[in-house]
Amino acid sequence: MTIYPMPRASTFGIIGKFAVAIVAVVVIQGILSFKFTLFGFFDLPLIFSVFYGFTLGNPVASIVIGSSLGLMQDSLSGAVLGANGLSKTIIGFFAATAVAKFAVDQPVTRIFALFLFTIGDGLLVTILGLMVGPASGATYSGALSGWGLSAMFNALLGLVLFAYHDWWNATT
Amino acid sequence: MSRIVAASKKPTWIALGIALALQTGLISLQARRRIDTSFVRVWILDSLAPMEKLVDRSTYSLGYLWKGYVALIGIHDENERLSHQVDELQMQLQRNREDLVELQRLRAMLSLSSSDTGKTVVARVIGRDPARSQTVTIDKGTTHGLRPDSAVITPAGIVGRVIHSSNFFSIVQLIVDSQSAVGVLLQSTRRQGIVRGTGGRELDLDYIDDDNDLKAGDTFLSSGLDRIYPKGLPVGVITSVGPRRGLLKTVQVRPSVDLGRLEEVICIIEHTENIDVADPAQGASSP
Repeated sequence: MTIYPMPRASTFGIIGKFAVAIVAVVVIQGILSFKFTLFGFFDLPLIFSVFYGFTLGNPVASIVIGSSLGLMQDSLSGAVLGANGLSKTIIGFFAATAVAKFAVDQPVTRIFALFLFTIGDGLLVTILGLMVGPASGATYSGALSGWGLSAMFNALLGLVLFAYHDWWNATT
Repeated sequence: MSRIVAASKKPTWIALGIALALQTGLISLQARRRIDTSFVRVWILDSLAPMEKLVDRSTYSLGYLWKGYVALIGIHDENERLSHQVDELQMQLQRNREDLVELQRLRAMLSLSSSDTGKTVVARVIGRDPARSQTVTIDKGTTHGLRPDSAVITPAGIVGRVIHSSNFFSIVQLIVDSQSAVGVLLQSTRRQGIVRGTGGRELDLDYIDDDNDLKAGDTFLSSGLDRIYPKGLPVGVITSVGPRRGLLKTVQVRPSVDLGRLEEVICIIEHTENIDVADPAQGASSP
């Protein structure tokens, strides 16, 4: 396998860009969810975990990015600290490893992946939340329809973002 | 973006192991409650919330400028209309002042002392939960006197309670959150009960002394028995009373506050035991 050596300054630059992007994603998610109720169904940190996994194809970087996005998402919410962190870590890892096995540049693959990852994320975060503090009043039929809607919205938004990324790569 | 190809799979498994161990460790510490992990949340909240506030302020300022520009069209006509409205409102205000004097006199006669919510601080909502549970972020924290379980209200009623506080920001759990419950009393009959969040837009009645006389349109006030919310604040209005499920009828309650349109909220730092702003029946029966 090939290793592309990078100068030190460039490495710091790339890490800095990723850090800014990660913070921006979580902040934008918080602001937009507050301004537009509908945006609560989108999960930008999840979409970007998958996006970076697919586009970088580097499992280590995707694990770090997914882990950071999830942990920040947990901190800005009342959720169990680490629940989204764990979920997004796994999603980042699977997305990056999927690059070698599936044609992730195909829209169908992307839609399918985002849909499944959203459902999996909802399940895992809910189970972890229940393990730490059981929500006796939770309605699971409502949660399931919520995940379904969220999965559809995430798949659509993800598709647009991926298409934009492809277009950007083609023009530059 | 160019793909970076890993030289070996070993670092991947090490990175995955470390990340999973860290996150699982955090969850485990919260489950066992042996070590306080809130410092992690406080640190990240203090780092991210100022950016949320900055973006919120910028969008607010842009919106304000835009509204100011659009409002200039037809401003003269609107000014005249408003002048008439001000005259009418001043007359109405004068009448209300007289009513207030009369009300105070009647209260004094009934030996009811006017009470208030206690020590409060006004906060601005700067963000909503990015993880789909029902919480909002406000721009006041422990420096302003807030702490976990501080009640958060608006003039329309109860909003929720503070669950996490950093120095300058707090996370408020809304009453519709599935983990939230509020001690209530029915305004008309004074029966006590508990309403619980569903995770959706409404609340469910979890318990009440007697549910035979419940009907749509009845108002629930806070009972104060949960030691978080002061007594007498509006909690919600019954929207539907369904068939019995177990011991109780299925009762859905719409929150008094429109939780989707929160902008500014009042946080109660120290509350008096009893507000009873909407408790004329009890007041009349007091000695």
